[in-house]
Amino acid sequence: MNPSLSYSLLFVAAALFSIGLAVVITKRHAVVVLMGIELMLNAVNLNLVAFSQYDPSRLQGQVFSLFVMIVAAAEAAVALALIIQVYRHVKTVVLDELTDLKQ
Amino acid sequence: MLSQFGIMFLFILTAFAFIGGILLFGKLLRPDRPTEEKLTTYESGEEPVGNAGVQFNPRFYVVALVFVLFDVELVLLFPWATVFGQPTLIAETGGLWGWFALTEAVVFVVILALGLAYAWAKGYLDWEKPQPQLPTVATKVPTTLYEQVNERYKRPTTP
Amino acid sequence: MTFQTYDCLQMLPIILLSLSGIALLFLGFQKSRALLLPATLLFLVIAFVANFLDWGKTYMYFRDMLLVNNLAMIFTGVVLLSTFMVVSLSGSLADDEDAQPAEYYAILLFSLVGAIMMIGFENLIMLFVGVEILSVAMYILTGSDKRNLRSNEAALKYFLMGAFATGILLFGIALLYGATGSFVLSGIGNYAHSATNAGGSMLLFYVGMFMLLIGMLFKVSAAPFHFWTPDVYDGAPSLFTAYMSTVVKTAGFAALLRILSVSFSGVYDFWWVAMAVVTVLTLLIGNITAVYQASFKRMMAYSSISHAGYLLIGLVGLSQASKPAIAFYSLAYSLSTIAAFGVLMLVARNRPLNAAVFGDQTTLARTDEHYDAFNGLARKNPLLGFVMAVSMLSLAGIPLTAGFWGKFMVFSAAADRGAVWLLVVAVLMSAVGIYYYFRVVIAMYFREGQTDTIRVAPFYRIVLIAATVLTLALGLLPNLFQGLI
Repeated sequence: MNPSLSYSLLFVAAALFSIGLAVVITKRHAVVVLMGIELMLNAVNLNLVAFSQYDPSRLQGQVFSLFVMIVAAAEAAVALALIIQVYRHVKTVVLDELTDLKQ
Repeated sequence: MLSQFGIMFLFILTAFAFIGGILLFGKLLRPDRPTEEKLTTYESGEEPVGNAGVQFNPRFYVVALVFVLFDVELVLLFPWATVFGQPTLIAETGGLWGWFALTEAVVFVVILALGLAYAWAKGYLDWEKPQPQLPTVATKVPTTLYEQVNERYKRPTTP
Repeated sequence: MTFQTYDCLQMLPIILLSLSGIALLFLGFQKSRALLLPATLLFLVIAFVANFLDWGKTYMYFRDMLLVNNLAMIFTGVVLLSTFMVVSLSGSLADDEDAQPAEYYAILLFSLVGAIMMIGFENLIMLFVGVEILSVAMYILTGSDKRNLRSNEAALKYFLMGAFATGILLFGIALLYGATGSFVLSGIGNYAHSATNAGGSMLLFYVGMFMLLIGMLFKVSAAPFHFWTPDVYDGAPSLFTAYMSTVVKTAGFAALLRILSVSFSGVYDFWWVAMAVVTVLTLLIGNITAVYQASFKRMMAYSSISHAGYLLIGLVGLSQASKPAIAFYSLAYSLSTIAAFGVLMLVARNRPLNAAVFGDQTTLARTDEHYDAFNGLARKNPLLGFVMAVSMLSLAGIPLTAGFWGKFMVFSAAADRGAVWLLVVAVLMSAVGIYYYFRVVIAMYFREGQTDTIRVAPFYRIVLIAATVLTLALGLLPNLFQGLI
C-alpha cells in the first residue's frame, strides 16, 4: 500500500463530497441542489476508483463506479422531469417558495 | 521536483499568459474607431434578435433525457467486454463462453430496446410539428384560376 | 450451513417480476384497462409461489451477489403480500382518465425487484442498486398525481432528500471498500472481527460504517433523518403512501438487519449506543408529534416514524431472536397499515363535496383526510369501522392483535441484551400511541357525522376482511408464523 497516494486522493474526494454537501444544504434552487448531489456522487466515484488500485485483480471498485454513473443518470432524468412538472404548476423551482405541504 | 502534473500546470499557465499578452499587444497597436456596425455581434452577418438566454422548447428535454438514459446504460457493456474477451474462459469452455456472454449482452440490449420501443409507441419521441393555419380568404376568383397561373409561371424543373 | 452456488436463472422472483413488469407496460396499449389489475395480481401470485420454491435451502447466487435463505424468503413474502394488497385496493385507478395504471403497476413490480435485492443482498453493489431501484420508482409514484401540486412537490422533496441520502450511503460504501478491500458482507465482517482483535486504527472503517448506516436510516425515516417523511407521505396519493410506508420500510429494515448482523456484529459495542440514541429520538419524535396532527394521513406518517423506532429496538438488541421478531413486526405493521389506508381511501373518496365551503382544491384535499372525515363512520358502515378499529388496535399494540406480538417479540429481543432503559421509553411511547390511534376509533363509534353508506367493491371488501382476519389470527396464534422461521 502506498499511503501517501491514498490519502491525497481521499482528501480530494472528501473535499468534493463536502462541497457537494454544502451546495445541497445551502442552495435553494432545485437544479443547483441536483448539481450538488451529482458532485457528491462523483466524489464517491473518485474514491471507489482510487481504492480499486489495491484490488487490482478484481476491479470491483471500478465496476461499482460504473453503476453509480448509470444510476446517477437515471436519477437525474427523473429529477428533471419532476422539476419541469413542478415548474408547470407554480412557475418556480426555488425550494423555499414551495410551501404547499407545510402545516 | 516537478511532477507530471506540474509540467501540465506550467503549460496551462504559459498558454494563458501568451493569450493575454497577444491581446494586450493588439490593443496597444490597433487604431480604435468603433461604429455601430462594427460593434454588432456578427459584423455584416445575421442581425441578432432578442436575448441569448431564451427558453428552449421543453420537448428538447424529453428527447435529451431519453437519449442520456440509453446512452449511459451502454456503459455497462464495458465491464461485459472485459469478461467477454478473456482467453482463459473461452479456452476452458471450448468457445461456448463467447456465445453465452453474447447472448447475455443481447438480452440486456433487447430489454433496453423494449424501453425505447415503449417510449416510441407512446409517442414521446414524436416531434410536435407546428400546424400552419392556412388563411382563408373570401374571394370571388375560383381556385382553378390560381392554379392555371401557377402552372404557367412554374419554374422550369431541373432535369 | 452449506452454500451451493448456482450462477444463472435461479433468482426466479426477480426475473419473473422484471419480465412481468415489461409485459404490463405493453399490456397498457390495450384499449381496455380491465385486464391490468387481474394481470398484476396474477404476476404477484406467481412470484409469491416462485419465491417459496427453495424453502428450507440456502443458496448464494451470482458469485456472492445475492443470498436466499428462509429469512430472506419470509421478508420477500411479506413484501409481495403487501404489494398484492396495495394493488388490489387500486381498482379506482382504472376509472381515472388521467391515470396511467399500466405504468404504475409496472413501476410497482420493478420497485419490488429492488426491494428483493435489498432483502437478500450479499454484495454492497446489490444493496446500492436495490435501494436505487426502489427509491427512483417511489419518486415517480409519489409524483404520479400530476394534476395535484402537492403530489409533485412531495415527489421533488422526496427526490432531493432521497438522492442526498444515497450520496451519503455511497460515500460510506466507498470508505468501507477502502478500509476492507471488499464489497462482500462476509468479507467486511471478517475484517471487522480480525481488525478489532489486532488493534490499530479503524477510523476509515468506522466513518464508512456510520455513513452507510445514516444513509439507510434516512431511507427508513428514523429520527433525526425523518424530516422528509410527513410532507412526502402527506403529498403522495394515498395508495402509494400505503405502499411506501410498508414495502419500503420492510425492505429497508431487512437490509439494515442483514448488514448489521453479518458485517457489523463484530463491532457491536461500537455502534449500539448510537443506534440506541437514534431509536429513542425516533420513538419520542414520532409518537409525540403524531399527537398534534389534525390530518389522519399525516398522523399515519408520524406513526410510521414511530414504528421505525420499534423496529430499531429489534436492531439494537441484535441477536438470533431479533430476526424473526423484525419479520413478524413488519408483517403485522404492513397488514394494519394497508387496511387503514384502504379505509381512508374509501372515506376520502366518498366525502360529500364541500368545495363551496372550503374554497380551492387544496383545502378540500386536506380536509378529506382529517379525523373529522371518520365521524360516525361505524354507524352506517360497520364493516369499515371494524376493519379500521382492528388495524388501529394492532398498530397501538393492544393484546389479541398481531401488533401486540410484534412489539412483544421485538421488546424481548432487546431485553435479552439488557437494554432496559430503552424498553422503558418504548413502553411509555406505546402508551402515547394509544391516545392518537384511539382518536379515530372514538370518531368512528362515538361522534355524530353525516356519512352515507359507502359502496365497497366486492374484491376490495375481501382484501380488507382478509387483512383484518390475518391480523386477528396472528394475534391469537403467533406461533403459526414463528414456527416458520
